[in-house]
Amino acid sequence: MESAKLDGQVQVEWRWLIAAYLFLAGVGGGAYLAGVIADLAGGPGWMLVSKIGVFLGMPCVLLGTMFLLADLGQPINAWRVWIKPKTSWIARGTIIIVIFMIFAAIHTAWWIWPFPGPLADNESARHIIGAIGAVFAFLTVVYTGLLLGYNQPIALWNTALLPVLFSVSAVSTGIMAIMLIGQGLGVEETKLALLANIDAFVLVFELFVLIVFLYNAYRTVESRFSAKRILTGAVAPYLWLCVILCGLVIPFFLELWGGHGFAAALAALLGLFGGLCLRYAILAGGTIGAIKAAGFEFARIDRPKDPMPAMGKVPPI
Amino acid sequence: MARYGMVIDLKRCYGCYSCVMACKLANHTPPGVLWSRVLRGEMGVYPNSVRQALPVLCNQCEEPDCMKVCPTGATYQTDDKIVRIDKNKCIGCKYCMMACPYGARYSVREWKSYFPDGLPLSEYEEYSKQAWEAKSGVGVSTKCDFCIDRRAEGKEVACVQSCPAKARVFGDLDDPESEISYLIKTKRGFVLRPEMGTEPKVYYLPPR
Repeated sequence: MESAKLDGQVQVEWRWLIAAYLFLAGVGGGAYLAGVIADLAGGPGWMLVSKIGVFLGMPCVLLGTMFLLADLGQPINAWRVWIKPKTSWIARGTIIIVIFMIFAAIHTAWWIWPFPGPLADNESARHIIGAIGAVFAFLTVVYTGLLLGYNQPIALWNTALLPVLFSVSAVSTGIMAIMLIGQGLGVEETKLALLANIDAFVLVFELFVLIVFLYNAYRTVESRFSAKRILTGAVAPYLWLCVILCGLVIPFFLELWGGHGFAAALAALLGLFGGLCLRYAILAGGTIGAIKAAGFEFARIDRPKDPMPAMGKVPPI
Repeated sequence: MARYGMVIDLKRCYGCYSCVMACKLANHTPPGVLWSRVLRGEMGVYPNSVRQALPVLCNQCEEPDCMKVCPTGATYQTDDKIVRIDKNKCIGCKYCMMACPYGARYSVREWKSYFPDGLPLSEYEEYSKQAWEAKSGVGVSTKCDFCIDRRAEGKEVACVQSCPAKARVFGDLDDPESEISYLIKTKRGFVLRPEMGTEPKVYYLPPR
């Protein structure tokens, strides 16, 4: 049991299912936010873009909660989170998400589908519902970061930068989802190109936040092991290939130079994939620091195996 | 009410894993679940190095983070400040497993045998499975409860009883006359991860 060097216990409980949940909550919230902003600021010309964004909100978040339910050990008991709303971020988040889904559903049903009802003519009522929905969309997006960040022992997550990173990623993936659907529904090329340009700037900002996040994690003693795991360890392929190359760099150049047609669709697909992998990399990078006592560092060597241990660091059980 | 705690003397512990096995027998924990476990630490570089075993278990914190993050109130404190889980209320979100600074919580999707290849369960395994599912449950968070059932029967806590070095002492922290209060006061007792602010109730005595 020569594992004193293995400082840090990798969390294995939350993996792809939770990553998919965080990702879809981000896409839904981000698309809805972008849709409402397009309606508020863009005017009648941006109607189709706005409708796509608003329409994407509810189904994406609902699909995400399905992933969350699939991860629960006892989904039969899931209704119990409603009884104690004050207890934890999961309970609060459930309420935020459900309120968001209700507003997004009303917004969709009265404006777009199944019947273009009261909100189609009454612009101010639509803007009011949109503004309230946007607040809860923003909370949904931020909450995914706060949910992870509340955990003290996992120092990688326990930082105020995580909600920022997740919100920026949510906005960029939301815009990408709109671009992808917009291709199929025939949004004008100039509008798609403008969306792509806006998204390209969001991607630059996201890369900046990601760099600050990882730098901060590396400079903090408690989370250095996590940062190393993400930068050079077992999670590194996800970070460098999936998140940075596929999710940020390639979409950035495609959006800046292409902006429409096949290039934009490819950029959106790659960007969405990168957003999912970003959530996964952050989850899989989460480690609980080694216990320090009486001058010793105690590694956690007898917990469940890391599903993807780094070479030469397989913890013996 | 009593406020139960434990003292583990690191000078006496030599890392024999008796407590781990005793806990497994007493609580019928399936593979991968170690309510009581032993960590290993090393200081210095060979040949000038010292090794030390560190037995850990649920610290039954006064201000448990696992209870704070529980969305359904399934995690609760009994009157004598032991942190327990109501398996009928737990939804298995595993949030508490992230929040615990000591990694004391475990959750299994299904009960598994220690033996491979799906052999038919022996009589003892059958009993063990029923005992686990009745007390702790599958799909939910589980953890040490200072052997609450054994103590109700008048027995000692399993890991304390089995320790051949008598490194573990269980007792009431509120009672100034108790052995554990005396040990903590006179032998420089300390807790793990005090910076987390959870006020753990498992104390350690320094190895030197």
